[in-house]
Amino acid sequence: MAVSFRAEQSANQRKTWFLLAVMFVAVVAIVWAISSLFGLQIYWIVPLAVGISLIGVWTSYWKSDALVLAMTQAKIINHEDAPQLYNIVEEVCVAAGLPMPRVALVDDPAPNAFATGRDPEHAVIAFTTGILKVMDREQLQGVAAHEMAHVGNRDTLVMAVAATTAGLLAIVADMGARMAFFGGARNNNSNNPIAMVIAIVILILAPIAALLLKASISRKREALADATAVQFTRNPTGLRRALETLAADGTVVHQKSTAVAHVWIESPLDGKSKSMFDTHPPISERIALLRQMEGQSPTSE
Amino acid sequence: MWIWIIVAVVLVLLVLWAIALYNRLVKANVAVDEGFAQIEVQLKRRSDLIPNLVNTVKGYAAHESSTFEAVTAARAVGEHATTVPEVAAADGMLTQALRGLLAVAEAYPDLKASANFLSLQEELSATENKVAFSRQFYNDAVRTLNTAIVTIPTKFFVGMAGVKAREFYEVPDAADRNAPTVTF
Repeated sequence: MAVSFRAEQSANQRKTWFLLAVMFVAVVAIVWAISSLFGLQIYWIVPLAVGISLIGVWTSYWKSDALVLAMTQAKIINHEDAPQLYNIVEEVCVAAGLPMPRVALVDDPAPNAFATGRDPEHAVIAFTTGILKVMDREQLQGVAAHEMAHVGNRDTLVMAVAATTAGLLAIVADMGARMAFFGGARNNNSNNPIAMVIAIVILILAPIAALLLKASISRKREALADATAVQFTRNPTGLRRALETLAADGTVVHQKSTAVAHVWIESPLDGKSKSMFDTHPPISERIALLRQMEGQSPTSE
Repeated sequence: MWIWIIVAVVLVLLVLWAIALYNRLVKANVAVDEGFAQIEVQLKRRSDLIPNLVNTVKGYAAHESSTFEAVTAARAVGEHATTVPEVAAADGMLTQALRGLLAVAEAYPDLKASANFLSLQEELSATENKVAFSRQFYNDAVRTLNTAIVTIPTKFFVGMAGVKAREFYEVPDAADRNAPTVTF
C-alpha cells in the first residue's frame, strides 16, 4: 500500500498539537495539585517557575543557531568549500520555497546532519565530514531535504515550546515536593485525604510524563520531517537509502550532549532497543514508511 | 438591544471571513507569479552556464558541431520565450540538447576526466535539479490556485479578487518517448 506524504504530514501535525495540549493540561493539573496541598498562598510559585523556564528556553531558542554551532564546533562554509553539498542545499531550497540557510560542516567521521535556528531566515544546516564521504548525491539530497523540512516546519520553535513546558513541570513539581517534605502542608484543613493523595501522585508523575511527552513530540516532528522531505524532493528513495546507510553505520557522533541530541538526523543517544524516551522513531520504522511511500512493501526483499 | 449586538458580531465575523477568503485567492495568485519568476531565474542560470560548457567540450570534441548548434539554437529560443507554454517548450528543447551534449562528452575520456568539465557537470546537474524543483513548486502553486477557484467557498470571491485559472508548466519531454539506446 502506497503511503501519501501529505497524509503523513497532516497526521503528524495533528499529533504534535494534541501532545502539546496534553502537556498544557499537565501544567494545569500540577498547579491544581500544589494549590490543593498548600492552599492559595503559594500561587506566586507558578509565575516564578514560568518566568525561569521561559527565560531559559527562550534564550536558547532565540540564540539556537549560535549555541548549537558552538556546542558542535560546526564551521560555516560557502560554495567554494563544498560545491556539491552547497548546490544540493540550494536545490532543496528551490523545491521548498525557503530562503537559503547557512551551511556548516562538523569535523566528525560519523555520518550525521542537523538543522537549527529560530526561523527560516536564521537557519543553519550542518553536515558531518563523515556523511559527505559515505553518501552519494541522491542520498545527500534526501538528508538536506529532511533538515530543510525541520526548518520549514519550525521545529526549533516546537521543541522549544515542548522543552519549556517539560522544564516548567519539573520545576513546579520539584518545588511542590520540597514543600510537602520540609514545609509541611498548611491550610489543608478543608481538603480531604483522597485529594491529598491524588495531588502527591501528580507531583511525582508529572515530570516523568512531561519527559515522555517531549520525547513523543520529538518523534512526531522527525516523522513529519521525513514526510515533508518527500514533499520537497518527490523522491522517497534518496532519504530511504540515506537512512539505510545511517542504520548500517556503527559510528556515532562524538557529541553525546543531551542538549543537542534531538537535532541530529540520527540520534546519537537512542539505544538499540525501542524506548519511550527516544527522541527519534526507530530508524527501521522510518525506512519502512519511506519504502511504502515508494510504493514498495515495508520490508526489503 | 442584545439582538443588535449579536447581529453586529455576526456581521463583523462574516466580513472577516470574506476578507480571509479573498486574501487566500490573492496570495495563491501571487504564489503562482513567484513560482514562474523562480523558473525563469533558474532557466537563466542554466543558460548562462552553456557558453562555458560548450567551449570546454569543443576543446576536446571540436568536430561534433551539430550537437553544439542544437544547444546554441535551443538557448536562443529560450531567450525570446515569454508565455508559460513558450518557456516550457524552449526549456524542453534545451534539456534535450544538453542531454545530447553530455552524451557526446561520454565518448571522450580525457574530457570526462578534466577538472573543469567535472565542476561544470556538477553545476549543470544542480541547475537541472533547480529547474525541475522550480517547475514542481510552480505547478503546486497553480494546483492550489486552480482548486481554490473551483471549490466552495473561495469560488464566490474569484470575480472580486480578479484571479483566473492558470496554466500548468508542462515540458514536452521527447526523451521519455525515445528511451535511450545502449550500444555495445
